[in-house]
Amino acid sequence: MILEQLAGNLIQGLVLGAVYGMATMGLSLIFGVLKVVNVGHGAFIMVGAFVTLWLFNTLGINPILAVPVAFAIGMGLGFIFYYTTMQRLIKAPELATLLATFSLGILLEELIKLIFGSEFRGYNWVVGKINIGVTVFPMAKLYACIGSALIAVLLYLWFNKTRAGSAVRSVVEDSEGARVCGINVGGAYALSFSLGIGLTVASGVLLTMFIPVGINPYMGGGYTLKAFVIAVLGGLSSPYGAFFGGLVFGLIENGSYTIFALLPGVEPFALTRFLSFVILLAILLIKPTGILSRK
Amino acid sequence: MKNKITKYYPLIPLLAAYLLLLLIGKNISGMWQLVAMLIFYCAMGQAFNIFLGMTGYVDFGYVAFMGVGTYGMALAITHLSHIKGLGILIIIIGFALAIVMSTLLSMAVGAVALRLRGAYFAIATIGVNEGFRFLIEGARIWNGSEGLIFTAQLNQILGRETASSLMTFWADIIVLIIAVLAAFVTLYYMKSKIGYALTALREDEDAAKVMGINVTKYKIIAFITSACFAGLVGATSWALKTPYVFPPEVFEIHYTIEAIIIVLLGGAGTLLGPVVGGLIYGISKYYLAIFMPGFQLLIFAPVIIIIIVLFPEGVVGMLKRRVKGSALAKFII
Amino acid sequence: MKKSYFKTALIFIAIIGFFVSANAIAAPKKLVIGHPACLSGKYAKAGEQAIGGIKACVDWVNNVYAGVLVGKKRIPLKYKYYDCESKKESVTSLIGRLITVDKVNVVFSAYSSGLTLRGAPVAESHKMLYMDHGGANNKIFRQGFRYIVQTIGPATRYHEGTLNMIHKIDPTAKKVALAYEDSEFAKMVMHGAEKHAKKLGFNVVFERTYPKGVTDLTPLLSALKASNPDFILGGGHFEDGQLFNRQMADLGINSNALSLIAAATLPAFYKALTSMAEGVMGPSHWEYGVKYSAQEAKKVKLPWIGPSQDEFVALFKKALGKNIIPDYHAAEAAAQVLAYVLAVEKANSIDSDKVRAALGDLTFMSFYGGWDVDETGLQVGHSMVDVQWQDGKRVIVWPEEAQTGKPCYPMPTFAEKAKGKVAVPK
Repeated sequence: MILEQLAGNLIQGLVLGAVYGMATMGLSLIFGVLKVVNVGHGAFIMVGAFVTLWLFNTLGINPILAVPVAFAIGMGLGFIFYYTTMQRLIKAPELATLLATFSLGILLEELIKLIFGSEFRGYNWVVGKINIGVTVFPMAKLYACIGSALIAVLLYLWFNKTRAGSAVRSVVEDSEGARVCGINVGGAYALSFSLGIGLTVASGVLLTMFIPVGINPYMGGGYTLKAFVIAVLGGLSSPYGAFFGGLVFGLIENGSYTIFALLPGVEPFALTRFLSFVILLAILLIKPTGILSRK
Repeated sequence: MKNKITKYYPLIPLLAAYLLLLLIGKNISGMWQLVAMLIFYCAMGQAFNIFLGMTGYVDFGYVAFMGVGTYGMALAITHLSHIKGLGILIIIIGFALAIVMSTLLSMAVGAVALRLRGAYFAIATIGVNEGFRFLIEGARIWNGSEGLIFTAQLNQILGRETASSLMTFWADIIVLIIAVLAAFVTLYYMKSKIGYALTALREDEDAAKVMGINVTKYKIIAFITSACFAGLVGATSWALKTPYVFPPEVFEIHYTIEAIIIVLLGGAGTLLGPVVGGLIYGISKYYLAIFMPGFQLLIFAPVIIIIIVLFPEGVVGMLKRRVKGSALAKFII
Repeated sequence: MKKSYFKTALIFIAIIGFFVSANAIAAPKKLVIGHPACLSGKYAKAGEQAIGGIKACVDWVNNVYAGVLVGKKRIPLKYKYYDCESKKESVTSLIGRLITVDKVNVVFSAYSSGLTLRGAPVAESHKMLYMDHGGANNKIFRQGFRYIVQTIGPATRYHEGTLNMIHKIDPTAKKVALAYEDSEFAKMVMHGAEKHAKKLGFNVVFERTYPKGVTDLTPLLSALKASNPDFILGGGHFEDGQLFNRQMADLGINSNALSLIAAATLPAFYKALTSMAEGVMGPSHWEYGVKYSAQEAKKVKLPWIGPSQDEFVALFKKALGKNIIPDYHAAEAAAQVLAYVLAVEKANSIDSDKVRAALGDLTFMSFYGGWDVDETGLQVGHSMVDVQWQDGKRVIVWPEEAQTGKPCYPMPTFAEKAKGKVAVPK
């Protein structure tokens, strides 16, 4: 019985983990290139959720089609924020960038609240279910998982097969060297920042496909914290690392729940989160480049 | 000799500011609770500044120290209230427990996180804060998520009238004392070897190491000091003034952010910065809440971004640069 | 050099002047309700409702009731609120201001037990009446506060009605699963429900919590499914309730009844879940559609005051300028206004001590239902209703005397609901 539950939870965790991973790629990309931790990360996920909600509930647009729309909106937001704020803070101490990104998050939350109100919303996209014996999956969850994997692959191709991608890559490795080689470092920064934000907003769409309820302006906070753990699992500066970090995180979170639940007198969910932060600290100490990197 | 006295000149504007606050709060009716809030923000900023301002390390888990300090006081009150005759001693034990607990936590965090730098340090400290909170909730330590509510015990220990004046007046005075103490310590550190070592560290940690400065030692000193003061502020503002503890409220990351905003507004690494920052932050927040209820965050967020971009050194930082070389320079650091 | 000293002095004078001028608003002859409302921050949703409810009732008192009768004179009721941002530091400073600068006559607490507790000592030290419409924790009333009075009912009784109902309509139901949020409020509901369930002879087969802000309940729900309960009680706040229901549907977990606190009774719940919410129940302090009226009050021999339900809804919409139906947050705050007005008239005084004493003796009925407090200030006169979603509408199914329809039990399975079956009683 317990084993069956464990198996079911692990499979659920893997699917959820893919979406979590995708939701962290933007954070890792921005950190990798600009060395800026986007503390307002969750707010951008929230924007994606609202894009989906709005498109689905008012125009009846399929959430899958909301992904490119959200991505474009995110790119736009990213460019605006980069040129108004981040550009001037690239060389500033951590303090400034941490506070700036946090404030951007608050700004977005309050704007969305002004437009949509603070109601908890949701949408109901009916596409059927699939029963795999140990657990049941709504198709929407599987689409979210497949979409996430697809986006990770696309990002990989972009990095490795396009000129702009390799320019960004060279900036990650050595920004001074890249400048000497004639690469437009400022442009690469702007592009990666907005790409990161675009990915994050798009991931908001996929997350709502997984959990299509509880959408409200302040929903992002929890995802920011999860994204930190996942990003650290993946080495903090590698977007694909983050994707695999997400898978590992999903497995740990769901797997450890079943085990913690066997202990009497505890709150198992809280302990899974405790565990995830213990893992975060352990990785930061032992191998800050992440458990998946070869370095 | 003369040098020794001038060293303490910067305390004059600082003490004057606190005195003015006290006078306003005491003499103008209706101002005390506002003054109490301002003192809280100043004290939080002062405590935070000892570490962040002097080392440049951003401790995102700062509120955890306030949280354990709160628990220290709360545990003393809830566990000792049944012992007759202890009276006010329980409060003193509470403060001692707050210091011990925040010191222990800061030593543990320091041993782990202080090996990291920059963003890695910030993320690690967030991890400590959240992890600690979930440990309390998950393992149901100290009554878990149900928290502790102890006004009744406080009444029982001190008597109704005393407890009431403690909650609404004396707690704020204690916070003020903590803030002044934190300022003294900040100044002492700034003018001693620790300050110079930490300045070297802030400019270039590797170079400081090469020069033979024991960077780790001084970092840990500043870290523990900051945590102790945070614990005391928590024990007073969140346990004596607010007689309950719910874990999600005392480990709320927004307080860390507020502390960062205060320090940054005033000027990181300056003595007067947290006071100036705390006053600006508290007063503007208060009047925005009154005149534009519901919109303060919407206004605050872009203002903060503008300040970070245009005035990264803060009000006191700018003043310091302006008065450099003049007679006022002695007063402003 | 001299000049800069002068400048500094000038700035100090300006600051002092600012404080003094802010202080110079004199209070004319009127009754003022002060409220550190949660307009932004984490309780913004409940805060907005409360403001709308209070405004609606203040409007009614002034324009329909023609003011509050004190000393043979009818004086107007005013409402002064600030935004506490759902933060404790602001709560105390704003209550301080409300009491001493705005000279309010009563303070309504901020939402949540924590913020209510934070403000209590300040109100207490000013001997100011402090009315609680958002803190359900029973422990608030065991702390020895003298000026606090509750309108919202105590948390321990939230699920008693649901258990009574199932006990009565389905004697074969034995196994109950409890799954609540791990917060001070929901835990208190859970303890109350557990105690009551055992008293009624139910067998608690599953009892677990989940933390605030949870985004995936799958592991908990699959364990719940394995325990195979007859019905499920749970919940905590808004978002987790939606998640709970949604993921039960996703995992195909069916049960005879599902009752969730806080979330299930709100219109947003059905809007977010549509057909999945069919047949789901929730206890509520008040819901649009309850049958409390002047006639009803006469039957149970309670004095009646206030607008009728439909009048209240109209006033509420006018007050907020939005076309939304008020929920129980609005109703309890509104009923609190009425309780205060009645107590002032009864005491024939605006003195906090006298009004507090009058509140202790007061019993009445309004559109919100009954109102009565015990000597500690704990609400005991208000009974909760149980609401069920039937064909997209909220139907009050319990207690029997307040019913607007029969309960649908057992509720349809999620597979049936997905095919369009609605929960209507046989």
